[in-house]
Amino acid sequence: MNATNLIRYTLACALACAGSIVPATVSAQQGQPARPGAGEQVSVRGFGDFAITRFAAADTFNATLGSASGTWFGGGLEVILPHGWLPNFFHIRVSHFAKSGERVFVDDGDVFPLGIDMDVAITPVEVSAGYRFPPRGRQRNWIPYVGGGIGWHRYSETSELAEPGEDVSETFTGFHALGGVEYRLGRWYGVAGEAQWTSVPDAIGEVPGSAGNAFDESNLGGIGFRVRFVIGR
Amino acid sequence: MNVFTRARAHAAALIGVVLWLATVTAQDVLPGAGRRVAWPDSATAIDRGLRGASRGMRKASEWPARRLPTTARYLPGSIIVKFRLGTSSAARSALVSLVGGHSASRPSHATFDIVTLDTAADPEAVARRLSLQPDVEYAQARYRAHPTFRPNDPLYSLQWNFSTLDMERAWDINPGASSSVVVAVLDTGMAYTNIAFDLTQTRAQAIELGEDETVVYPALGTVHIPFAAAPDLGGPSRFVAPYDFIWDDTTPVDMDGHGTHIAGTIGQLTNNSVGVAGMAFNVQLMPVKVLDGFWDVYFESPNFGSDDIVARGVRYAADQGAKVINMSFGREGSPAPVVRDAVEYAVSKGAFVAIAGGNEFLDGNPIPRFAEFATQIHGVVAVGAVGPDRQRAAYSSTGTYLELVAPGGDSSRGGVSGMILQQTYDFDFTDTFIFGSAAFRAPRFDVLENIYYEGTSMATAHVSGLAALLYQQGITKPAAIEAAMKRSAIDLGPAGRDNEYGYGLINPRAALRGLGILR
Repeated sequence: MNATNLIRYTLACALACAGSIVPATVSAQQGQPARPGAGEQVSVRGFGDFAITRFAAADTFNATLGSASGTWFGGGLEVILPHGWLPNFFHIRVSHFAKSGERVFVDDGDVFPLGIDMDVAITPVEVSAGYRFPPRGRQRNWIPYVGGGIGWHRYSETSELAEPGEDVSETFTGFHALGGVEYRLGRWYGVAGEAQWTSVPDAIGEVPGSAGNAFDESNLGGIGFRVRFVIGR
Repeated sequence: MNVFTRARAHAAALIGVVLWLATVTAQDVLPGAGRRVAWPDSATAIDRGLRGASRGMRKASEWPARRLPTTARYLPGSIIVKFRLGTSSAARSALVSLVGGHSASRPSHATFDIVTLDTAADPEAVARRLSLQPDVEYAQARYRAHPTFRPNDPLYSLQWNFSTLDMERAWDINPGASSSVVVAVLDTGMAYTNIAFDLTQTRAQAIELGEDETVVYPALGTVHIPFAAAPDLGGPSRFVAPYDFIWDDTTPVDMDGHGTHIAGTIGQLTNNSVGVAGMAFNVQLMPVKVLDGFWDVYFESPNFGSDDIVARGVRYAADQGAKVINMSFGREGSPAPVVRDAVEYAVSKGAFVAIAGGNEFLDGNPIPRFAEFATQIHGVVAVGAVGPDRQRAAYSSTGTYLELVAPGGDSSRGGVSGMILQQTYDFDFTDTFIFGSAAFRAPRFDVLENIYYEGTSMATAHVSGLAALLYQQGITKPAAIEAAMKRSAIDLGPAGRDNEYGYGLINPRAALRGLGILR
């Protein structure tokens, strides 16, 4: 799936979720003994986002793709629990990064581009949980939140003139921490700014004949800043 | 100077020849000896094909032509599907619809169908989905095959050395470098031009062949000796900045054949339906003569292949812009700081240097000078030889200095065909001295054929050819070229670096392919 299709798919999911699930939100814990947050609603909402991430393996990505940063597009579903629950939100996100570069040789820090086209794609599926701080005072439209979780990062690398077995398609497990602020633009939609630190250890520098190994960089994660568009309450 | 060619197919007497001048007269300057150009650029070569082989070889048209590489791995908008026997048409249609396909049709000579998709669909993903269906035996994208480059040179099939190195797939990545890369061949000269010399020798010459045999050769007087460019090395534009440090002129013709053979391995024209192939067949060659052969000695060339001549040749090549310098020679004895200085200078000027690792394993395995300092200079590699079985050639010297191995041939295990085949002189016409003074006559250097040689000389030429390909591919620093070769080498012998194989057998495709992020 290319980036454009992924965005379409994500936004479609978000809209579908907003259209079908949000109206069906239910009052939490009806008929149950009072609990923290009782009386507030559980909501399920969709979101789409784009992010800019600086890779932990900055030298490796800079050498092969011409930049240590990349743009990601993604989206997912989020469940918001009433305040007082911890965690009080869960979400699952699928995002995608794709970029073309070229194969290189690295010697003593010198990078020699070889003119052999290479396409790289990373598609993480991440599950997060965290805490949304309750609105306070007159800034009730601003909702800070923090969280963390784990992810499964599908990594593919295809090169010009590759033989069977030379291209790569592997999945690595990582973990992440995130924090941000959501601004409610209206009852059914909002926008959020979010930062995320991701670690995917022992992913890319394990094979001796790799740029990651040449730079002694093995982590597929990085630090990203994301803008999220939320549809739902 | 000891030329590192272990043997020729029929002239065992010349194996490892060391030529020493022992003139009957004193070492006075002889007005009756020397050479002058008789005619330039008029002779043409006589190409006698393969020595000792039938001329009836496989036709060039029997080999596929090369297609341009493409990054498109499969055709868009369709996939290949084989439904299980007994699957009804309705079931097939349902399955096609299930994955968004439009139609399925059976091409001729096939047991499978071609299912058309939207051009935007991902054929690999659709094929994966269909493969999960019980009525589908297999489904796959229509991956594009591309023929590997197989040269159409009629004798290419005899060049086991290139198949050992998987050169066809390496040439897919880099088809022979380009004329922007200059490889200097420091050797006995090169058959690069059509010319003739009138050479004169008025006194008998006692020349030592080997260690214990001295032969007195009669004076030939003034003889007319033709030289021809090797047809399979290309035309005049192929050669740059030729220089002869043995005769102190700009016409480094080969009076031995060794240099021409080496030049062939590095850059013999390839895919031209002629003769054999070379590693980096588009490079420019710089003939730099720094070694003397029998005829140079007989006609009393002003210089011999001494350390100072070699050093001057190395510096000259570097100053003239050579990016790769091939030194398929060496000697025993004391160290050679003058050559080392020159090689360091060449590396500082951006030239990668390959040096033969020596052929004296069976003769006491002495330290080969020149090769011994290779490990101390990044950008210089000492090269050993392997045979067709990838085992160290019996003659190939070993030691801590050895860094890489390449095909050099090993007739002790592979016979004549286990040696390295390239075009050079037909030595029936050049080596008239090997049968003694009775058969002695003037040589002619215009009859060429494809001949088997073996030695670390030949192995070194492969490394130089690879260096040229790597330079063209983008690795432009000598130290990085060396690093690329070592890191991609196929480890032979004991695990890790060892004294027989160094870091292993050069692996051109892997070296050229370089590094991805993960693999």
